[in-house]
Amino acid sequence: MIENSFNRRDFLKVMGWGGAAVALSGCGNTSVQDGVEIVTSYVEPAEYALPGIGVYFNSTCAQCDAGCSITGRVREGRVLKLEGNANSAINVGKLCGLGQAGVQAHYNPDRVRQPLLRTGDQGEAITWDKALGLINEKLGAVKGDEVAFLTGTVSGHSKVLLGNYLDALGSKNHYAYDAVSPSVVRAANKKAYGVEMPRLRLDKAEVIVSFGADFLGAWVSPVHFSQQYGQFRKAGKDGKRGVLVQIESKMTLTGANADRWLAIRPGTEGVLALGIINALAAAGVSVPADISASVKAYDAANVSKETGVSVEQIGKLAALLKARSPSLVLVGSAAEGYVQGSQIAAAVALLNQVLGNVGKTIEAPAHVPFPQIAATVGNRASLQALNNSVAGGKVKVLFSFGVNPLFTAPPALNFAENLKKVPFKVVFAHYLDETALAADLVLPLDSNLEDWGTSVPEYLTDGSQLNIQQPLMEKLHPETRGLGDILLALLKQRNANEYKDFEDYYAYLRNAVIKNKSALGGALVDDDTFWGETLSSGLLKLPAGASSLSGHASAVSLSAVAVADSAYPLHLIPSITANMRDGRHANQPWLQESPDPLTTIVWDSWVEMHPKKAKELGLVEGDIVEVASRNGSLKAQLYIFPGIHPDAVSIPLGYGHEAMGRYAKGIGANAFKLLDVVVGQETGELALHETRVKISKTGKRVIVVKDEGAAGGMQMHKKIAVRVSTDNVKLSGEV
Amino acid sequence: MSVTNLLENWSQFRQAHPVGDAPHAEYKWALSIDLDTCTGCNACSVACYAENNLPVVGKEKYDAGQMMHWMRIERYWDEDDREFPDQGAQFLPMMCQHCEAAPCETVCPAGATNHTADGLNSQIYNRCVGSRYCSANCPFKVRYFNWYDYPTTENVWPAEMTQQLNPDVSVRSKGVMEKCTFCVQRLTAAKSTARSEGRLVRDGEVQTACQQACPTNAITFGNLVEPESKIAKQWAAQQVELAREGQAKDEEAGGSDLRGYRIFEELRAYPSVMYLERVRESAI
Repeated sequence: MIENSFNRRDFLKVMGWGGAAVALSGCGNTSVQDGVEIVTSYVEPAEYALPGIGVYFNSTCAQCDAGCSITGRVREGRVLKLEGNANSAINVGKLCGLGQAGVQAHYNPDRVRQPLLRTGDQGEAITWDKALGLINEKLGAVKGDEVAFLTGTVSGHSKVLLGNYLDALGSKNHYAYDAVSPSVVRAANKKAYGVEMPRLRLDKAEVIVSFGADFLGAWVSPVHFSQQYGQFRKAGKDGKRGVLVQIESKMTLTGANADRWLAIRPGTEGVLALGIINALAAAGVSVPADISASVKAYDAANVSKETGVSVEQIGKLAALLKARSPSLVLVGSAAEGYVQGSQIAAAVALLNQVLGNVGKTIEAPAHVPFPQIAATVGNRASLQALNNSVAGGKVKVLFSFGVNPLFTAPPALNFAENLKKVPFKVVFAHYLDETALAADLVLPLDSNLEDWGTSVPEYLTDGSQLNIQQPLMEKLHPETRGLGDILLALLKQRNANEYKDFEDYYAYLRNAVIKNKSALGGALVDDDTFWGETLSSGLLKLPAGASSLSGHASAVSLSAVAVADSAYPLHLIPSITANMRDGRHANQPWLQESPDPLTTIVWDSWVEMHPKKAKELGLVEGDIVEVASRNGSLKAQLYIFPGIHPDAVSIPLGYGHEAMGRYAKGIGANAFKLLDVVVGQETGELALHETRVKISKTGKRVIVVKDEGAAGGMQMHKKIAVRVSTDNVKLSGEV
Repeated sequence: MSVTNLLENWSQFRQAHPVGDAPHAEYKWALSIDLDTCTGCNACSVACYAENNLPVVGKEKYDAGQMMHWMRIERYWDEDDREFPDQGAQFLPMMCQHCEAAPCETVCPAGATNHTADGLNSQIYNRCVGSRYCSANCPFKVRYFNWYDYPTTENVWPAEMTQQLNPDVSVRSKGVMEKCTFCVQRLTAAKSTARSEGRLVRDGEVQTACQQACPTNAITFGNLVEPESKIAKQWAAQQVELAREGQAKDEEAGGSDLRGYRIFEELRAYPSVMYLERVRESAI
C-alpha cells in the first residue's frame, strides 16, 4: 500500500519499455502458459516489476477508432485496469466504459489461440510456418488483382505495411469497411468546408443544435466531446451555460441530455434546417439573397406540418440561435439514415454558414504531415463494392481483419453466399466470430494490450498526433501474433531483402520512428532517449502544418420524403449504442451487464416503441414481437419507450451473434439482418434508417430484464433526481 | 420510548458521526455529483467493476435482482402526461451515500458495518454473517449481497479473467454483503503515503475510480474538513452542511437559486454525497 509514494511521471520516464527484449522476456512473475500459474520468488524481480506496487504504462485504446490514449495499471506483470492518459488532448485522462472494457478483450476466455485451417466443417490447429507457407502457395497461383484486403479503419505503420504488401502483390483492392461509420457526414463536410472532419468546438459554443449526432454516445470521438460538453455546460464566472437542442426520431444518449428534445418525423430533418434558416432571415439575420429566396417556401406552418415540430418550437429555436452566438449545428444519424442524407447534411452546413459558425465553432482540423500514416477510414459503400467483386468471381484470395461483415452485412447483399465463391479466405481474428468461421484460414491476433502499433486518429483535436500502442504485459497465449508481425512476415515472403533488417514489427516500428526523429521533435536527443520518451508518453505530437477550411454557402434543394408504405408502416431505426456499436465487442461481459442508459436493459435486444403506438397495436412491455422488413425478420422483446417518434421503432445493433464467444452468442437478435439495401443518392452509402418494417404479436411475453430500480423508474414524488429551470438558479457563483 | 419522544429528541438518540466531543479530525471524505454535466454514460459504473472486482452475474441473476453494481445510473422520466420526454431524461448515479447517521449500521447484529474515523461507512467482510438487515434498512438500496460464490461460479471469472482482479481489493465470497467503499483502498494508500511524508493528503491527490473515469468531470471527491479543498468549497457554495437537517435550498419556499441537495434529507441519515440539480434552459 505504498503505491502513491512513487511519482508516476518520474517513474514512467525511467520505466518506459526499453525494448522488445526486455519487454517480452522478463515482464512478470506469472505466466499462464498451459493455464498454470508459476509463482516465482521476489528475490530478484525484474527491474520494474516491484511486488505489490502498480506501475503504469501508456498505450492507445483500440476499442473504437477515436484514438484515446490509455494508461494501464500493471502489477506483478498483469494489467489490471485502464484509465485515460492525461497527456492526450483527445481524452485528457478520461475513458468511457467501452474503452475500460478493453481489459476484457485481452483476458477474454474465447480468444483464438492457434492458427486454424479449415478441413470440411472443422478447424484444424496448424503451425504458423504451415499457415504462412499456405498463404504463399495460394498467392502463387493467382494474379495480383485477384487478391483483396477487407479491413476496418487503418492508420499508422500497419497501414504503411499493408500498402506495401498490396503493392508487392500488385493489387489495388483495399476495402476499408465500417458498418456504422459517419461516412455521409464526411462527404458533406468535404463539400461544405473542404475537409472531411473539421475540428468541432463544443466548448466554445453557446448553443448546440444537433440533428441526431450522438456525440456523447457513439459518434466520432465521444470521450473528447464529453469532455468538451462538461465545459460547455459549466457556467463559469460569466454565468453562461451552453444550451443543447437535439432533434431526432429516436432519443439517443445525447438527446436524453438535451435542454429540449424534439421528436421529428423520420427523414424530414433537412426541412427543419431550411425552415430555421427561413425563420432566421425573417428575424433579420443577414442571409445571402439567393439562399433566403431558396428557403422562402419553408415557412413555419409548412415546416411544422412536414416535420411534426410545432410552430412555436421552430420560432423559439430561431430566436435562441439569433440571440446567442457562436452556436454549432451538428448532423449525425439524420445524414447517415436517409437516401437524401447528403442534402440533409448540406442543409445543416448551410445553417452553420448562415449563423456564422464556420471559423468560430467549426475550425480547420490539424494537418497530418505524413499522409502515408493518416487514417484510411472505413465506410459502408466499400462492402457493397467488395460484394460486387466477390459475386463476379474476381476475388480469389481475400484477407480480412478488424471487421465482421458476415454479421453486419444486410441480407439482401447475399454476402455470405457470395463469399463462398472466394476459394481462399484468410481472417486475422481475435475471436471465432461469424466471419472467422467462414474462413479457410484463421490467424490468431495478439490482443491490443499485447501488441505493438501506431495509429493516427481520424478526428484530431489540438494538433495531430501519432498514438503509440505497446504491450502492457506478456502475451497470454504463445501462438498469437501481432498484426504488424503478420504483415511483416507476409512482406518478407515477397520482398525478403528490403525487410531483412527487421527481425520483427517492433524493430520496424522503432526504426521508422527514429529515422524521422528530427521531424518529430527529437533532433537534440539520442535515439534511445527519444524512443524511451516516446513510449513513456504513449504518443508523439506531430509537427504542425497549415490547414484551412474552404467551401461556400449554396442553396440546397430537398426532394419530397417518401410516402408511407402500407405493407410496412413503421420506420426502423437501428440504434448505435455506446456499449455495442456494430457488435464487435459483444463478448466483453462488462458491456453486456452495463445497462443501456435509456432503457436500462441488460443482456438482450429490445424493440423500442412509443406508448401511443403500442396502445394502438395492443402491445405491452415484454411482448415478444416479430419485426419484419422486406428482407428479413427477427423476434425480440418490446420496450415501451417515450423517446421515439410514433411512426418509428428502434432496435439496437450489435446483439444477436451466432458465434464469437460465451458472452455474445445467442444474446438478443441481429438488427443488421433486417436492413434493406437502400443507398444514398450522392454517396452510395447504405442508408441506415430507410428500412420499413411491420410488427406482429407472437403471443409470447417475457419480463424485461432491466435496471429501472426499486420503484420501477418512478420517483414517487420524492426528491431524488431533480431538475431546475435556468430562471430559478444562479450559476455564476458556483465552484 | 414513544415514537413522539424519539422524533422530538432525535438528536439525543441518533447514532451519528461526528458527535460533538469527537468531530472528524483530519479527514471526512465526501462526494458531489453535478447532474447537469452527468450524461448517464455509465463510464463510472464500468470503472467501478474494474477497480473493485465486481462480478458479472448474467441475465438470470440480474433478473432476480442479484446484480452487484456498486455504482448504478438511475434513469427517470417526467411523471406527467407529456407526449415525449422533451426535456430529456433524468440520470442519477447512485452509490452508497456514506451516511453520517447510517440506518444500516444500527441494525447489523454482528457490527460488520460501522463508521470509520474519516467518515466512511465501512463494511467488514469477514465479520458479516449475511443477515441482510442492513440492506433492508438502506433507504438508497445500494447494498449488494453475494447470493453465490462468484469466484467459483461458471463464466464469472473464467481462468484468464482472474488475472484482471485488483489485488488491493478482496474478492468476496458467498453470504457477504458489499457496497461502495469510496475506493477505500486508494484512500488508505494515499493516507499512508501522506503520513510517511508527515503531511495530510492533498486535494486532488486521491481520486475514486468513478471520478477518475467520468468523461465530463461531473464527480468531485475530497476531504470536507479541509476548507480549501474543492469539495468543501462546493458544499459551502451550495450551503449544504453535513450535520444539518434540511438544507438552505429545502427551507426556502419555492427553492432558492442554489442547486445542492441531498437525497432523502427528511430521513435524517445525513449522507456524505451532495447532488447538484440538473438545469434546463427556460428560453427553449
